[in-house]
Amino acid sequence: MKITLVKKIKLDGSLCKKCEEVQQKLEATGQIDLIDEVLIADERDPSSQGMELASLFNVDRAPFFLVEREGEAPEIHTVYFKFVKDVLNQKTREEDELKEILNDNPDLDFL
Amino acid sequence: MSENHLPTVDLDQKLSEQTPQEILAYALEQFDNIAISFSGAEDVVLIDMAYKIAPEKVQAFSLDTGRLHPETYRYIEKVREHYNINIDVVFPESEAVNNLVREKGLFSFYKDDHKECCSIRKIGPLRRKLLAVDAWITGQRRDQSPGTRAAIPVIQDDKAFARPGATLIKFNPLANWSSDQVWAYIRSNNVPYNELHDRGFVSIGCEPCTRPTGPGQHERVGRWWWEEATLKECGLHDVNISK
Repeated sequence: MKITLVKKIKLDGSLCKKCEEVQQKLEATGQIDLIDEVLIADERDPSSQGMELASLFNVDRAPFFLVEREGEAPEIHTVYFKFVKDVLNQKTREEDELKEILNDNPDLDFL
Repeated sequence: MSENHLPTVDLDQKLSEQTPQEILAYALEQFDNIAISFSGAEDVVLIDMAYKIAPEKVQAFSLDTGRLHPETYRYIEKVREHYNINIDVVFPESEAVNNLVREKGLFSFYKDDHKECCSIRKIGPLRRKLLAVDAWITGQRRDQSPGTRAAIPVIQDDKAFARPGATLIKFNPLANWSSDQVWAYIRSNNVPYNELHDRGFVSIGCEPCTRPTGPGQHERVGRWWWEEATLKECGLHDVNISK
């Protein structure tokens, strides 16, 4: 299995806030050691590797994880806590996962 | 598990030019295991349209947060009877609600923000429901909130709620419709509507977080009015992704 993390550099050159938070969580938990490659989606450069991956897999948010397993279709994970649970098989708190989904999809509160 | 890998970006361009009825017809034709999210408000038009297209395929669900207006509960029942359809009413996990209320009380959203409560009372049950379907349909419209809904596509690959290894497709047939168009449809088709609309409620959600709005006010003003609108920061800008 190969795991690629894609982080976003915004138009003003700074790292997106959630990318920073996820990076900190990965480092604090040691999960960063399970990430094989880190790519940058630079909004100032559509040809940056991360932007190309986002385009290829039709991903509209960052950060995201690309999970490649031999003989299987690649998977995209945009929810950090879901990725930790489903791919890294580590325990997460459901409330953290739900809050992350709502933060990433603020339109859902109107349902 | 769904193996339906639709080219959603291309389809969005094509479907965006079509009417909500045509989009719904496409969705209902593509998927058997598809459900309409019904909030107990003007998104009832989706049920009416779907019922006229394929009555046998109408599956709807409502998120009962436990904090809805009594009028909304009565209205959900009225819609169920009017169309003679099953509306799956889904509930939050009692333990999660208990923990929130024990720790922060019944009105924590006024002090913090509404997201913690919404994530427990809405997003949790929504996720459980969506684990059981291949596609879902919402009444989300771009004009509902310029801040958070301005870019809503007609069809999208819903990665947040998809089962592991599966695809979940989300349809927003009303994305390009305005509130006026929705209400013109309701009136011209004699669709039953929530009585709260007659009392100035434009957008209807949970009772503590919804209030009537005045003439000319945006409907978002009637929801979470004590909070400032926030903008999503971590979207990858389409202009840069598109080639």
